[in-house]
Amino acid sequence: MAAVLGVSAHYHDAAAALVVDGRIVAAMQEERFSRIKNDPSLPRRAARACLALGGIAAADLDAVVFYENPYAKLERVVVSLAREYPRSFRQFSPALGGQLGSKLWVLDQIADMLGVERRIVRFVEHHESHAACAFLCSPYADAAVLTVDGVGEAATTALWRGEGSALRCLGAIDFPHSLGLLYAAFTAYLGFEVNEGEYKVMGLAAHGQPRFREELARVLRLERDGSFTLEPKYFAHGTDTDVGFSPALETLLGPRRPPGRAFDLEADSDDRRCADVAASLQLATEEALLGLARAARERTGATALCLAGGVALNALANARLAREAGFERVFVPPAAGDAGGALGAALLGARDLGDPRPAALATAALGEPFDAGAAVDLARALGLAALPVPDASEAAAARIAAGKVVALCRGRFEFGPRALGQRSLLADATRAESRERLNRVIKQREPFRPFAPSVTAAAARAFFADAPNDMTPFMTTVCRTAPERAAALPAVVHVDGTARVQTVTAASAPDLEPILAAVGRETGVPVVLNTSLNGAGEPIVAGPVEALAFFLQHPVDALVIGDALIERSAS
Amino acid sequence: MNAAPKRGFLRRLASRAVTLAGVFRHFAHRRRFFLMPLVFVLLLAAVLLAATGGLAYVAPFLYTLF
Repeated sequence: MAAVLGVSAHYHDAAAALVVDGRIVAAMQEERFSRIKNDPSLPRRAARACLALGGIAAADLDAVVFYENPYAKLERVVVSLAREYPRSFRQFSPALGGQLGSKLWVLDQIADMLGVERRIVRFVEHHESHAACAFLCSPYADAAVLTVDGVGEAATTALWRGEGSALRCLGAIDFPHSLGLLYAAFTAYLGFEVNEGEYKVMGLAAHGQPRFREELARVLRLERDGSFTLEPKYFAHGTDTDVGFSPALETLLGPRRPPGRAFDLEADSDDRRCADVAASLQLATEEALLGLARAARERTGATALCLAGGVALNALANARLAREAGFERVFVPPAAGDAGGALGAALLGARDLGDPRPAALATAALGEPFDAGAAVDLARALGLAALPVPDASEAAAARIAAGKVVALCRGRFEFGPRALGQRSLLADATRAESRERLNRVIKQREPFRPFAPSVTAAAARAFFADAPNDMTPFMTTVCRTAPERAAALPAVVHVDGTARVQTVTAASAPDLEPILAAVGRETGVPVVLNTSLNGAGEPIVAGPVEALAFFLQHPVDALVIGDALIERSAS
Repeated sequence: MNAAPKRGFLRRLASRAVTLAGVFRHFAHRRRFFLMPLVFVLLLAAVLLAATGGLAYVAPFLYTLF
């Protein structure tokens, strides 16, 4: 029986996760505390919060496990720089400075941060962390596991066989051939921020036609055995770290889109071209993943598939895999990216110390709770009329049904990039104006970006064709909307007829389920629009301080914080 | 959890020695042995690099390589 802390840091999405006696106690991203989106720094506050929640002192930890091998990473950096020399000349100083000046010593930094013995701090491989996060959190005893991301130590893609608590690597594809780097390079080409704008590319893809399919086939070659290669001349990962693509890509597809320019998909032909590029990229990515998944099915014979790595956050692709790859069930954890690596590392550490595999992950609410009474006191100190209500869920539901936008801050915050009913903005899914108001006024996002619906698991099938399934509790897939229902849910159905559905039970989202039930009683439609509680460019709210700040800065109608209600009109 | 206790200089030095041993073990593998001289020269150069202030430069794609 052991207490193990997992840590990811230094690249993006730093996080900490605590596993005690094989049970997942807590998992949190540093960005929630530091308020820096995708914060890569050592997860000092997240680790502290995890330990506090587990009632454990750092000195009582049996192991601290970092999510990747710093020595193998150094090797790849050195080899890549040497291979690209002299074109990599400009990268030499920052790259080796970053490695040798800081990242190589990460295990020492973690020991210093926690004040623990260096001997209990160790590492596991990057893709093994991803695989463990997906498989050991899944409900499957036996599964094929695919890990697909930008790059770990050297691997960018790996196939695993998961049986019981064991994970066996069956093969890998190495840098520079990477679906994650392909998607990231196109994200930059389309004028979005790398590591942040990939969701926007996905949303944009639905507005375009994949007319650049042949051009994409020159960039990404799919092999007969299910693997893939990238054509190096279109990329500049070793020489231009600002965008990652070369001028040859602009020759192939046209000029890049300037960052920050407002989108006008109706009037601007260049924006329509960009939407077509996004659609072509999305199609190529899906077909590459399908090739990998079909090969995994053939090679392992498993009937279930687990996916993790940054590319597994592509909900559209996950839906295609579930439909077409030949598996009966597919699971993607809520924090499929590098943050989830911290949880995977902790689970591997616990397993290696003899602890049992945890129960299947039932909820993503693994973050820090807050004191509801103190939150009310703080609200009142700020001059807000925070009124305790007998049933906060009923109060929220009544306002949502009346067309109001309600911010919800209850319980422990979520682990991963999705708001799943603990730190959410909720609105009526049946009103198109909900989407417009949220996109343009409250969140100030691109108008083409869709919003997701949350629906009770019991009613899901009536609205969405493929729900519920193993991914829908965590919003890691999309579902086709039942044709007769699409018109009734204009705020949450995307132009392609899909929706990134969250199916809700009392176990998966205990604070959202009663709200959905109450909305269902009032309107007959137990569906709400659910988007993350954060302003533009900010991490999702962590606790009451940020929730109240959000309420003061953004024109939402009400805030439910703990068991209290704050209304805009009253305040 | 209280703030981590300040670790002594010797303990921190011992900790770094563990990491250096890890680097040595990794590059002592027969497939990577030829990289060892380069890595250890670079480790020495790291001291100079750290003094340049150039470490603050972070580009969005930097993680792809480094």
